[in-house]
Amino acid sequence: MVTQYGIKYAVNLITAHFGDLVAKVCECLLRRGPLTLQAIVRSTELTSSQVKNSLLVLIQHNCVQAFILDQTGEHGDGAKQSTQYIALFDNIIQRWRFPKFLTMVSKKLDKQCVELLEGLLQHGRLTLKQMFDRAKSGQNEGDDVVQEAFVKLLNAHFIERCPASEPVLTNPTKEEEAARKRAAKSGKILEVQETLEQRVVEAAMPTEALRFLFATETEPTADGGKDKSNSSSVTPGEKRKHDAIESEAESGDTDEQVVLWRANIDEFIRHLRHKACIENVRARFDDGAVIVFGAMLEATRSAEKKVKTENSVPLSLSSIYEEVIKSEEGRNITFDRVRASLVQLSCPPFVKATNESYSVDFKKIIELAQHEEVESIVLKRYGRDAYRMFRLLSNSGHLLETDKVADATFVEKKETPIILYKLWKDDYLQLEKLQIGVKQTPFQLWKVNKSTLKVHVLDEMFHAAFNLSQRVAFELEQEKELSNVLQDKRVNRLRKRLLLESSQMKLDDAIMLFHDF
Amino acid sequence: MNAKRKRPDTVSDSVTEQERIVHEVIRSKQDMGISQQDMKREINLHSNLIAKCIKSLVSKNLIKEVKNIHSRRQKHYMSAEFEPSNEITGGAWYVEGSLDKEYINVLKEQCWRKIYGLKVATLEGIADAIKRSNVSQIELSKQQVEEIVKALVLDNEVMEVRSTGTGEFASIPVGKACYKCAGKRGYGGEPKLGALASVPCGVCPQISRCTPDGIISPITCEYYKKWLEF
Repeated sequence: MVTQYGIKYAVNLITAHFGDLVAKVCECLLRRGPLTLQAIVRSTELTSSQVKNSLLVLIQHNCVQAFILDQTGEHGDGAKQSTQYIALFDNIIQRWRFPKFLTMVSKKLDKQCVELLEGLLQHGRLTLKQMFDRAKSGQNEGDDVVQEAFVKLLNAHFIERCPASEPVLTNPTKEEEAARKRAAKSGKILEVQETLEQRVVEAAMPTEALRFLFATETEPTADGGKDKSNSSSVTPGEKRKHDAIESEAESGDTDEQVVLWRANIDEFIRHLRHKACIENVRARFDDGAVIVFGAMLEATRSAEKKVKTENSVPLSLSSIYEEVIKSEEGRNITFDRVRASLVQLSCPPFVKATNESYSVDFKKIIELAQHEEVESIVLKRYGRDAYRMFRLLSNSGHLLETDKVADATFVEKKETPIILYKLWKDDYLQLEKLQIGVKQTPFQLWKVNKSTLKVHVLDEMFHAAFNLSQRVAFELEQEKELSNVLQDKRVNRLRKRLLLESSQMKLDDAIMLFHDF
Repeated sequence: MNAKRKRPDTVSDSVTEQERIVHEVIRSKQDMGISQQDMKREINLHSNLIAKCIKSLVSKNLIKEVKNIHSRRQKHYMSAEFEPSNEITGGAWYVEGSLDKEYINVLKEQCWRKIYGLKVATLEGIADAIKRSNVSQIELSKQQVEEIVKALVLDNEVMEVRSTGTGEFASIPVGKACYKCAGKRGYGGEPKLGALASVPCGVCPQISRCTPDGIISPITCEYYKKWLEF
């Protein structure tokens, strides 16, 4: 979901990090969709080299992906291929979350890993050699220490190989198209059709086996581990395949040391998603249930293939218990206590039980958290009566007449339409009028359309986040001007900044809830 | 005129022809009654005359004035033999045409306390507990208790769940609707404030007109100024 304010927010971020020129190219791609180099030049009225350099920066930082759209035979004139560039909105807004990623690694791994990841986040993409050099210039760390940290990050899937530089994207064949239409009609697959952005990202991604494969020699030699080696852990077949991709990315250079690495955003988002779910459980249940729930996530995380997984892999009671007692706080929990916690967790249905096996219902938890966020806005903006009305319409899911709303919410019949009208005016409700007689005033029926409301709220969030960053920039500017003001004023300024920045972080959590989870 | 007067008439003889017409129209509306304004539309008589007829009919106890919750300023009339319908009075929760909010709030809190005490409660259980504690002078019907409990659900004070028949639901048949107190906060506590609702933009009525260089902007915003005052 890319909304109008989402684009403004993303462009603002790129301007702050890479300046106006790069931001102009990025905005052009975000607003107009995938374009060729010439089209960007025409559209932005920049010189070809300016555009080229901007694109290189954006690609280096994983904000743009190049791809070739294969339109073979469409007009019967053989292959017609052109390189196009697409802005990766999702990756751009991830730039806000780098501090969150670093905190996560510092909690789970060690300082060396944090430094390594910091380098990757700062530079977008790095080869192993570049990482070694960076560590050497900073702390005089030996290659083996760096490599150890690298392997730790890789094993945790926090880093991955960079995607192919220019994947070929074929148009879906007619049969595929027809199959998709049939599936959509039958209503069995409710998934939204993949966006072009998703298709490109998918096409560029290395295969699962290759994505986290570390194929360099495990013990660097005296000359700094520069010698080319066919690692023992790679079978010849894989190596060939791997080299083929590398030759594409690195113009024929097959040196393992030039394989580019980057942070694996998906893994970080998955961790943050799990964290958000745990917080949600904590708000409702006791510590025992939180520990059991956390253990279930820990045991099933590696089996998750995509970020937006709806249900975790089912686990048996004994395998959940096995995971629970791995942690220190879980050691005093009995088998029966785990069973009782699982019953507790099934209402509201956060955990589903079928045939003695249990799985986490992520979709339900995320939905509930989204509803709470929206309801909180309604309560603060329109008051308690409106809050009750909104919850009534949102829970019922269908059209309700004004008087019915008044009766169920205990609000005066005359006040009800006024409150409902306010919610409708701000796009929180839908209104349908039903005319029965010519003389009679039409019935007014109200409804919450959850999917359009979700987009609307997300856009408001992007707007608020955009405003917050504008205000932070303004406050920083003011601080520079008033550098030698009195001490107590300086304390106030600090408080202001703290409030602004913590609000930014919290709002970004909410954006993740609506956009990424 | 004479021929008409001889018709079988349910209204007493002392009623004039105009009064009879007005009464007929009012009676035809049964327990819904009719407003004076609507009468003017339906009866082909001068409004002053209608007003006069109404006055006379009221004095003869043939019709009565009732409160209509939909239009409190307009006078609403009903034939004497009918009792106003719930649609006019608003039902049990209305007194003199206004919602008895105080009474409702007392009942809400009491119901919540009963649910809290019972941990998991069915509607019957709640109704029974209310009855035994004599909270309400008037006996509440099961439907009324249900209305109160559903309002608590909308307030997010209570949540509706289905019995699984195990654990805390052991005494309740599987699949039956039950009620539990929601979350860890006590009665009347505010739900957790969301991220957007805690920044000025989240509750700003002017957000749609706010732009970086506009008259309303995050730099010049009054709400921001107040928010950042230390």
